[in-house]
Amino acid sequence: MRDLLTRIVNLAKEKFDAEYAEARAQKLFKTMLTIKEEKVEAAREGVETGVAIRVLVDGAWGFASVGATKTELLFDSLSDACKMAKAASLKLKHPIKLVEYKSFEDKVKVKPRKNPTQFLIEDKITTTSTIAKTVLGFDRRIKSCTIDYLDIFGTNYFVNSEGTCIEQDKLYVWSRITAAAREADVLTFSREEVGLTAGYEIFDVETPEILGERVAKRAVEQLRAKLPKGGRFEAVLGPNVVGVFVHEAFGHLAEADLTLSGSVLIDKLGKRIASEVVEIYDDGTIDGAFGSFKYDDEGVPAQRTLLVKGGVVVGLMHNRETASKFNVEPTGNARAEDFRVEPIIRMRNTFMAPQDYTFEELIEDIKFGYYFKSFRGGQANLDGTFQVGIQEAYEIVKGEIADPVRNASISGNTLETLHKVDAVGRDFELWPGRCGKGQTAFICDGGPHIRVKEVLVGGIA
Amino acid sequence: MELPREEDIIKLAESSVNSALKKGADEAEVFIYHGVARTVAIERGQIEKVSRLIDLGVGIRAVVNKSLGFAYTNLLGDESSVENAISKAVKSAKASKPDPEWPGFPTRRPLSSVEGIFDKDILNIYAEDLVKMASAMLEGAEEVDKRVFPVEGGVGASYICRAVANSYGVSAFDYGTVMECSLAAIARENDNVTPICFEFDMDRSCKVDPESIGKAAARIAVLSLKAKRVETKQMKVILAHFALQQLLSYTLLNAIKADNVHRNQSALQGKIGEKIASEIVTAYDDGLLRGGLHTWRFDGEGVPQQKTPIIERGILRGFIYDNYTAKKENKESTGNATRSGYMSTPNIEPTNFHIMPGKSSPEELIGRIDEGILVHSVQGAHSSNPTSGEFSVVATPAFIIKNGKIAYAARGTMLAGNIFDLIKNISSVADNEKKVGSIVAPWVLVENIKVVGR
Repeated sequence: MRDLLTRIVNLAKEKFDAEYAEARAQKLFKTMLTIKEEKVEAAREGVETGVAIRVLVDGAWGFASVGATKTELLFDSLSDACKMAKAASLKLKHPIKLVEYKSFEDKVKVKPRKNPTQFLIEDKITTTSTIAKTVLGFDRRIKSCTIDYLDIFGTNYFVNSEGTCIEQDKLYVWSRITAAAREADVLTFSREEVGLTAGYEIFDVETPEILGERVAKRAVEQLRAKLPKGGRFEAVLGPNVVGVFVHEAFGHLAEADLTLSGSVLIDKLGKRIASEVVEIYDDGTIDGAFGSFKYDDEGVPAQRTLLVKGGVVVGLMHNRETASKFNVEPTGNARAEDFRVEPIIRMRNTFMAPQDYTFEELIEDIKFGYYFKSFRGGQANLDGTFQVGIQEAYEIVKGEIADPVRNASISGNTLETLHKVDAVGRDFELWPGRCGKGQTAFICDGGPHIRVKEVLVGGIA
Repeated sequence: MELPREEDIIKLAESSVNSALKKGADEAEVFIYHGVARTVAIERGQIEKVSRLIDLGVGIRAVVNKSLGFAYTNLLGDESSVENAISKAVKSAKASKPDPEWPGFPTRRPLSSVEGIFDKDILNIYAEDLVKMASAMLEGAEEVDKRVFPVEGGVGASYICRAVANSYGVSAFDYGTVMECSLAAIARENDNVTPICFEFDMDRSCKVDPESIGKAAARIAVLSLKAKRVETKQMKVILAHFALQQLLSYTLLNAIKADNVHRNQSALQGKIGEKIASEIVTAYDDGLLRGGLHTWRFDGEGVPQQKTPIIERGILRGFIYDNYTAKKENKESTGNATRSGYMSTPNIEPTNFHIMPGKSSPEELIGRIDEGILVHSVQGAHSSNPTSGEFSVVATPAFIIKNGKIAYAARGTMLAGNIFDLIKNISSVADNEKKVGSIVAPWVLVENIKVVGR
């Protein structure tokens, strides 16, 4: 495979005058399960083999993807990619340049303690069915339960025209559990995800029973929950909500392609954008975390990237193209979901660093506010408007956790909200998730508990 | 563009069904998908790349003792990959658990006839043509105002062909084209950045107009400069195309799926024949809509697509089904088993959820409002409660309406409510329908939504 890809990138330079060329091949095996209530919908297995060729000709990109590794199809794709790049270059105002970077030759093998490919599909059915049984058996008001399971195992190859040649194993184990509960007219919904780049040992710590109970309990507790008041309130965010806030509300703005597209961070580099207790990282090197890898899909090693220190923006997340525009080193954030798409700037494991407050200290001075513990979904806009839907929340009354609250959501302007973070907890959790930016990427996000002086709560009560 | 031949695809589908039966399946179904797409991408104000994607693959469902297995592979590689996938599907079925309610794959029914889903001119659109269209879109946007910056977008042309065969005699082939153009723009003035303002057009023929899309995105961006905060109160709200599509997709459209109804996950369970929406609301799931983005002769199980009444003058008339859920109620499938390619098993999804337009122009809708808000798009609809329909989203871009005119852009504004209350409070539908995702709908005017501002 490496030889074939090397021939492709060499030909791109010799025959088509490409300034740069890369060829990325993948062979991945996937196993998927869906359990609804205790019924197995279908046990699914798949093989995906394909090659992506990306060339830079006359300062513009050409990209061709083909679900095959046949030599003649790859040569045809290369020729097409080069022609397309030439067509794209016709209207180019600013030619694309890549920052100079070292080349690497490496083979990255994963050695999981429990390789999911060595487990029978029957074992995976047993694990997921146990989760379903736990959820459904928790309370008679639980009406339904869906479990999705996915594991991916395989190899990615990356070769470029600058001498980089990487063979890298990929391993992911992921599951999502959802439950719905009903009592009279109240319908509630609860969701949880687990995911690792380690192996099947994920279910040793988060056992099917623990997972099932957590999801079921939340759905049932919400049945007696209040609706939130709408307006601006003091709040404590749990690690799970801090994670999605750091990822959605801040992280996307610090992806250098989006920064250049006009995110509110464009003129904020080196400037204070948050209270000084805020420190934010995007780290691709955390062992076994869902967003970790050794090399990104441009052949750049992943690293721990400091984004905010003492409330000041000190870095962005880059690929080789944006690194060239900012005249900095690339950070290893270029990721492609599969051979069908080109690498773009994506987050890895993004988190706020812990400080020194205990949970009790965070809530003790709050007369009335909300504790947002777990999120349902989040989204942000380039102007810094964010929204995070909350699936588990509580009122804070006179310094204590009080009644549960359902279907709340928080929103605001990211930078205004970051300035209002006035205390950061000492605990720390990292949560796996999947991020959509046209393509799906496996990521983690998290942090400690934090207190925010004011946040807009969208409520109907 | 070289197209696959119907005979070859059908032959492969049918022979794969037979092979699965030989390998021990009691029943088998084969789905083949072939897609070719060319796209030109705009990034940060300029055309940066052209891409091509060729994807051809096969997905096999095999049943052994009423238990279901599935395997897929992409095909262009070597021929043995299909046989391997067939073996895996049979093996997965044997490993899985039996479902006593499994009704079998659907039997053969006459296919529907559809119009306007294939335009041969799209096959002759090359990289240079796409680049020309994209630059017309960019220039259109830039002409509107100097403060506009096109962030990203593109123009794409694709060809899709699909086939289904099963061991009950279903054997069907269909093909179509899609053309799309989109632009996301912002406007900047001093320290002021607008949210992303997005406009797009998608069609089965090449009749998309990139220049007007560019201009439309730019106009919304300019209008979004100088936004103000609004007061918290109940207001009249106009939901424009994207906002309506986003709010409905995660709530109402889940509630009409038969599997959710059967599994107690639909707030519409048991409400057939009841009034669930304002009487000016009539909606069909129309899988045969001329030129619809999801119009095909048959669904992902080979069942003919159809026009299914969902809401008529506010009364709930029916749900959407695949073969499994239909047989559970001794009905026929409504042709809503949808495939998102060869890599997945079918799911129940709407085809073209068509909300019938009214007679008022969008301007007339705005003219009728003394104080209200026009919501172009919302943020966070995916965090709605999918069972209860409760939502709490950011309205952006959104514009305050005063005395029948758009006054200024709204900043930091949220909408909160329940979709099942919202559809009861629709007081007017406009005449400007547009195809967005699985929805074809006009703007709607809703009374009394809680707008959370300052």
